[in-house]
Amino acid sequence: MAHAQQQTRTLELTETGVATEGTATDEVVISISAGFNELKDETLAGVNLADVLREMMAGIEEEGLTPRVVRFTDTLDLGVIGLRGAKLSGSGISIGIQTRGTTLIHQEDLVPLSNLELFPQAPLIDLETFRAIGKNAARYAKGETPEPVPVANDPMARPKYQALAAVWHIKEMQYKDEDKEPMELEVSF
Amino acid sequence: MVNNDTPATDGGGEASAAEETGTRRSNRFKKLDERAVTEDGFVNEWPDVGFVAMESPNDPAPSITVDDGQIVEMDGKDRDEFDFIDRFIADYAINVERAEDAMDVDSESFARDLVDINVPREEIVELSTAMTPAKLVSVVNHLDIAEIIMAMKKMRTRQTPGNQCHVTSVEDNVAQIAADAAEAALRGFYEVENTVGVARMAPLTALAQQIGAQCGRGGVITQCAVEEATELELGMRGMTGYAETVSVYGTEDVFKDGDDTPWSKAFLASGYASRGLKMRYTSGAGAELNMGQAEGKSMLYLETRCILVTKGCGVQGLQNGGISCIAIPTSVPAGVKEVAAENLITMMADLEVASGNDQTFTHSDKRRTARMMPQFLAGTDFIFSGYSAVPNYDNMFAGSTFDSSDFDEYNVMQRDLQVEGGTRPVDEETVLEYRERAVKALQTVFEELGFPPITDEEVDAAIYADGSKDMPERSTAEDIEAAEELLEDGVTGADVVKILAKNGFETIAQNMLGILKGRVAGDYIQTSGIFEGDGEFDIVSAVNDPNEYQGPGTGFRLEGERWEEKKDIRFAVDPEDI
Repeated sequence: MAHAQQQTRTLELTETGVATEGTATDEVVISISAGFNELKDETLAGVNLADVLREMMAGIEEEGLTPRVVRFTDTLDLGVIGLRGAKLSGSGISIGIQTRGTTLIHQEDLVPLSNLELFPQAPLIDLETFRAIGKNAARYAKGETPEPVPVANDPMARPKYQALAAVWHIKEMQYKDEDKEPMELEVSF
Repeated sequence: MVNNDTPATDGGGEASAAEETGTRRSNRFKKLDERAVTEDGFVNEWPDVGFVAMESPNDPAPSITVDDGQIVEMDGKDRDEFDFIDRFIADYAINVERAEDAMDVDSESFARDLVDINVPREEIVELSTAMTPAKLVSVVNHLDIAEIIMAMKKMRTRQTPGNQCHVTSVEDNVAQIAADAAEAALRGFYEVENTVGVARMAPLTALAQQIGAQCGRGGVITQCAVEEATELELGMRGMTGYAETVSVYGTEDVFKDGDDTPWSKAFLASGYASRGLKMRYTSGAGAELNMGQAEGKSMLYLETRCILVTKGCGVQGLQNGGISCIAIPTSVPAGVKEVAAENLITMMADLEVASGNDQTFTHSDKRRTARMMPQFLAGTDFIFSGYSAVPNYDNMFAGSTFDSSDFDEYNVMQRDLQVEGGTRPVDEETVLEYRERAVKALQTVFEELGFPPITDEEVDAAIYADGSKDMPERSTAEDIEAAEELLEDGVTGADVVKILAKNGFETIAQNMLGILKGRVAGDYIQTSGIFEGDGEFDIVSAVNDPNEYQGPGTGFRLEGERWEEKKDIRFAVDPEDI
């Protein structure tokens, strides 16, 4: 796994208020789940969440667009936070990510379980893929039709990680607050 | 996971602790630590949140009160305390007329009836379909695994066992999918299931799979597992013939998370039924836990609620047996027994069962075979709800317990034990011939529809391919555009039939038309319906092939032509030739 690299980057996420519907067509929302960087600071595969967020943001910026990070606390359903992020996004495009690393690209006019791209096997998503996901999200936002980021498939990811992922999820549920609105976040590394 | 080369058990890490502290290690244990099974995720029971396969201390005790034909109390809850699942089950899934009798029967004595060959299936069903979830669980908790196997043999709805497979490609490569579907059909699967890497590819992969399957054997039914509304639309268009990705859950919170209720699922089911499309629901142990909302109940208890929701919706069948959460029940004690138990309860609810065995849960070859044996030995409607007919690296359901590299072993196991496992030996030459015809038919359909061409190079690669690694690159972005065009232009199965017929693929056209006609007749939406024969569209279901097993000499026996076919594996030596 791609983690034992450079010195560990730390991530600080500061709430700046309730997230509102964006109007800038050149923005992509990154929707993060309740326990992102709170429950754990790395994905199930041990990839540092600071690096994950940084790569996705860099991918978006590389295409000349602006990332916005929003935390959803009232649900942990990735399809839902991805879609709601897309509805908040001025471009109508978002990336949704859970603490464990499961990621998708969503668009505002789709339904929760139908998305633009899905990366269901969290342990297989490396930093290079996270950057490519950011890049592709930005390209959808510009109205392009990019080649989807190649999906990794490891039939042994489930036996190794699924039960553990369930334990993580149950623990992340403790960060859920059904009454809290989605919050705009300021990101610093 | 901060791993060194030693595969430590997940979560625990004790295996490598000794090495880190420099303690001298047993060579035996070092060797054992290298075995595949140590790569699997195992978790200790944690009943407070529902991390327990069977018999959670939080499971309710069975009870019922019926007043004026209505269940007013069930499993320790009064009607006004019911959540929407309780209410749905009480009102639609339990035969109220027999409920009090059924609940009065001693659970252990009913468990004995389940394995008693002298008690016919109908007698069991009469009462088992009048039991509450807690009662069904309390009955099955009395059985050990051998008894569950015996009970399954009698209780499955259709007498003739069958099998279903997955045909998917990590690249969503349509040429490969068509060829693999043809081979899968030839190998004897009754149903073939596809899903996609990229959701928007579904219309094309569904089309490729259907053409391939109808080339391999007329009457194989196909589905494309995608988001529910898309799946229904593909069915209505005649791109698929059945569906099974309609999920139900055992707790209200998980249902609500999916913006669903038992009533909304029933509505969706009627959408399929009204179009004559075969459909079954999906559930399976561990799903509620996976969502963090198991309410401290055992996996078997929650799954039993799913089974009864399915029953209450009037749906003919269910795929369960862990399914996509299989690694969760199998991570805890008695988890493999639990998935067999949930299959059995589905049969007791008089539903068709596709009994899992599909998704990977282990790194160990021995463990995956052991997990399959109860369903394999007893026979179920579909022993696998997805045997991977492609290499596991191409399996977009995240891998299956058995894949295309196991075809010969699986056939040999049927031969060894004289058991119908739902596949048959085939020879290489015939397989190549069918793969060629399927992919050429798809090439023609693509050409006529103006889709991105399937080149001769792709056709050639698909004929001989094992998997997508053998296929040339193809543009997914261009295929997605074609997929969108297919939906926008309103292309239907009938259009495809016309194209095939016009271009010399008459048999495939006839077979695909047969599937469309089957939907108009609707007979194959009877419980556990399949088409037998090749292009004859003979329907076999629980109606005309009911399970009548009652001990030695009765029920399904692997004999006659089917047995002759199984004996003939491709590398057996003929003594006369020596």
